Parts: sequence; structure tokens; C-alpha cells
Amino acid sequence: MSTGREVRRPRDAARSIFLAVALLVVLVPLVWTALAASGIQPNNDTRPPSWSISPTVDHLAEVSVVEPAFWQELATSVGVSAIAAVLAAAISFLGAYGLARSGGRAGRRLTPGLLVLASLPVMAYVLPLSEVLRRIGLLDTLPGVTLAEAAATAPLAVYVFYAHLLGASRETEEAARLEGAGVSRLLRDVVLPASTPIVAATVIVLFVLDWNQLLIPLVVTGIQVRTLPVVLTDFFTLERELDWPTAAAALTISLVPLLVLVGLFHRFLERFSLSAGRHPGESDASGG
Amino acid sequence: MKLTKSERALLYGPLAIVLSFWLLIPACLGLISTLTNFAPVESSVMWVGLHNFQAILSDRTFAAAVRNIAVFILAAVPLELVIGFCLASALRRPFRGRTVGRVVLLLPWLVSPVASGVMWHFLFGSERGFVGFVFASFGLATPPSPPSQHGLALLAVVFVETWRVAPLVGFLLLPGLAGIPRERWENATIDGLSRLGRIRHVALPAVRPLLLAVTMLLVGGALSTFDSVLTLTGGGPGTETVTPALYSYGKAFTFSDWPIGAASGWLIGGAVLLAGLAYLRLSRDPEL
Repeated sequence: MSTGREVRRPRDAARSIFLAVALLVVLVPLVWTALAASGIQPNNDTRPPSWSISPTVDHLAEVSVVEPAFWQELATSVGVSAIAAVLAAAISFLGAYGLARSGGRAGRRLTPGLLVLASLPVMAYVLPLSEVLRRIGLLDTLPGVTLAEAAATAPLAVYVFYAHLLGASRETEEAARLEGAGVSRLLRDVVLPASTPIVAATVIVLFVLDWNQLLIPLVVTGIQVRTLPVVLTDFFTLERELDWPTAAAALTISLVPLLVLVGLFHRFLERFSLSAGRHPGESDASGG
Repeated sequence: MKLTKSERALLYGPLAIVLSFWLLIPACLGLISTLTNFAPVESSVMWVGLHNFQAILSDRTFAAAVRNIAVFILAAVPLELVIGFCLASALRRPFRGRTVGRVVLLLPWLVSPVASGVMWHFLFGSERGFVGFVFASFGLATPPSPPSQHGLALLAVVFVETWRVAPLVGFLLLPGLAGIPRERWENATIDGLSRLGRIRHVALPAVRPLLLAVTMLLVGGALSTFDSVLTLTGGGPGTETVTPALYSYGKAFTFSDWPIGAASGWLIGGAVLLAGLAYLRLSRDPEL
């Protein structure tokens, strides 16, 4: 301890044990899967269980044998999720800014409702959505599914941005406004630069939500466009007898882009918060 | 701040367009279509009144699904909240490795529900799974996989979803708990409050809005549970793990029965809206 002020107490020991157990519970299943994907598996029929260790990349290669278009579908998933996340964040930020700065009670009344909207089951609207998309010629197209995923995640993004913008300082904004700056200039020069961490964090969270979205692409795409969760579901439900290492390999590959993203941007993710108010290290929070 | 008409159009327009066409209008159409026999293959759409709902409510599979989801929500949501709260409390004060700890909390959530179902299907398995490995290590006979066992299958679903979601709850609650000023904890300790007393009188009031928001998202998510069940148990054994969303999905896609699929989807939507009303009420009234 650098300060030397905090003496180790029994509580700290209990906390360490709790965190260590939690760490194991979180990591063991993932490591087990990654090991199986690389050819390292236990044999539970012997006593004690033995390990068959034959590190290989064959299982990773097998994925594209079972599902020939796997890499293409992976690329589609990256594109759809990235564009949907950025688009949802952009339109939500604009909307949230309007709600937070129009000063009325509308924003405060409306935003908890957004959380309800964010929880609306996809099943309640996805069938008619596919019919709407079919009539306007966007069924089974990239724009159709991308916009649908953006719409599904936008309510959550508005909620997050609204909470952030309510808590943020307005002095610079108001000064710029008095000098005659329009909203678009305000956003570009003042508000957005000050909100970069929360916007980046939200884009990442939305990316993960879009990446794992199953039902929307399942219903509104299918032949021309296929995203990873749909492929994995086919993989896992139609071929129940599927070899575990191959399934583990597909699973591991589908996790890698997210791990890279979270690893690279964890500093931003730390700023992600559903609530307004004081955060450690955030200098300009007014707590209003 | 006064916004001009064109500024309002700029701020709210894009969000309104995307939300209307890709979410709200389909949702309303969906609600109306539950009173018809509407389906893409149907050439003449007819008004059928409440017939779809009657058919669903008299279906014993759906009754089982309602019972299952009630048990699931009553078990999983409190468990996720308590574990998440403990994780956030343990990570509240800074220590070396806290940043890494917070990122690790996100890992299970990165695994899509579909993939997590498959992963646990194999981890629970006797031959190469983790559970079988632990039993074999102690020289015991490997037990049959819990998801396929009568009486254990639903518990297995609760466990798998808690594994995926509880750490995320910790991640979301952490900024709220870390934002509580140190003096408040110290004052409470000086006032002679026990650990539970400090949680009740210091922590819970401070994170109340956040806790409510997270609970709303958890209940909404739990009500729509289906993809992890699809790959973990497929709803079995029998109807022991069928959820309303899985029922709706099965009707719409396996049996191509759109009207029943859409109507049961809206029954889940109705449940989410009811939970939403309770949430709105609670979040407006600070005393409740």
C-alpha cells in the first residue's frame, strides 16, 4: 500500500478470497473452451482423469469446412455490428442532447420509459418488421438488418447519454451559445470532445449487443446476409452431434473480436455508467 | 436553453425516423396483427378477435412456459443482483489490479447466449466437461448432465444465465458504489452501524436509481430469455425449461404459425410493459 494508512484487516482477506473465487468461476469455463478448441481435453473415464494434449489448429480449420462461408459471415458481423453501433450512438447522442438541454420535464419523464422500450422483447415486433422490410425491399439486405439493430439498441444509448449530459458541466456550452454558436457547432466543438469517453464506451457496449443479437438477423436476413449468431445457432442446433472441439473453436473465434475490442478500449469502458453523477476522476461532474 | 425549430429537427429527427420505422411502427403493427390471422403466406387477412390469445392461454405448453419463466425470474434476478452487488462492493475501493478486475467482469457477458448455452452443454457433460472432470478427480462416477435431468434442468438454466449476467451487474453497479463519498462510509462507521447497516443506510440509498434501472433491464432480459435455453436444453426435458419466448420462437419458425408466434411475443411484451410500469412508478417516487 502506497499510503500506508490502510492496514490489512480480516475483511480484506475475505474480499481477496471472494474475488479470487469469482475470477475462477468467470475464467474456468472460458479457458476450458479455448483449450478444447486448441486440442487440449481431459478424459474423464480414467481415474484420476487424464489429459490428452495434442495442440493443433485443425479444429479452427474445421470450422470453415463445416461452414464454408464462416469467414465471410464473420466479416459481415463485424461490419453490421460496427455500423449499427456507431449509427445508434450518433442518433442517440443528438436526441439525448436535445432532451437534456431543452430544460423541460419531458426528458426526465421520458428517459425511464426508454429503459422499458430497451427491454421490449424483439419477438413482439420482429415478425411485422420483416414484413415492413420486405415491402420496402430491404429484407435480407445489409441496410435493413443494420438499421433494425441500431433501432433496437438506440433507447439504451439515449438513456446513457441523457444521464451523462445532465451531469456534465454546461458553462463552456452556455458561453459558446451566448457568442451565437448553433447547436451543430456546439456539439462539434464543445459537447462531443468533452463526452468522448462515454461515447466510445457506449459504442463498444452497443457493438457487443449487436454482435450477439440473434433474433433480428434470424428473421430479417437469411440467404444474402448471414451474421455469426445465426450461423452458430444453425451449427449448434441442427448438428447436435457436432464435435465439441469444432464447436469450441467456432465459439472461441466468435469471441476474439470482442476480446480485442474490450482489451484495447478498457480505459473507456471504465467510464460506462447508466447513472448520472460523480465518478471518480471525472472533474467536471456537477451531480445535478 | 432555447432550441430553434431546425435545431430540434436536427437533434430529434434521425432518432425519430429510425425508431419509428424499425421499432415503433412494427411493434404497433405486431400488436394489431395479434388480433388477425396475418401471416406472409396468408392471402386474405381476417379479423379473428382474441382467438390467438385464447389458443395460447389454453395451450399447456405455454402454461408450463409461464411457470418456468416465473421460477426463473424469481431465482435468477435476485441472485444476479446480490452477486453483482457483492462483486461491485469488493471492487469499490482502489487496489492493484482493480482495472483488470472490472474488465474481467465483462467477459461472460461477451459470450452470446447461444454460445453460452452450447459451452455449458459441453462443460456439464460427463466425458470431456468440467463437471465430469471434477467428479472424476475425486474418484467418483461422473453424473449425467444436469440440463438433461428432471428437476435440475431449470436450475441449470438459472445457473448458466447467472454466470453470464451477474458479473455484468457488478460492472454496472461499480461506478455507483465507487462514487459514494468516503466520508459517508466513515460517518456511518462512527455512528456504530454494522456492515449490513452501512449497506442499507449508505450504499442502497445512493445507488437506488441505478439499482432500479439494472433490475428493469434484468427483468426485461429474463422475460425474453430464449437463445441460451435453445442451445442448452432445447426446452426439455419435456417442457421443463420451455420459456414463453422459446414457445413463441418455436411457433413462429418451427411450426410457421405466425399469428400464434406474434401473439405470444406480445404477451411477453405485455409482461415487460407491466414490469416497466412498476419501474416507472418506483423511479418517480423516491420514498417507495
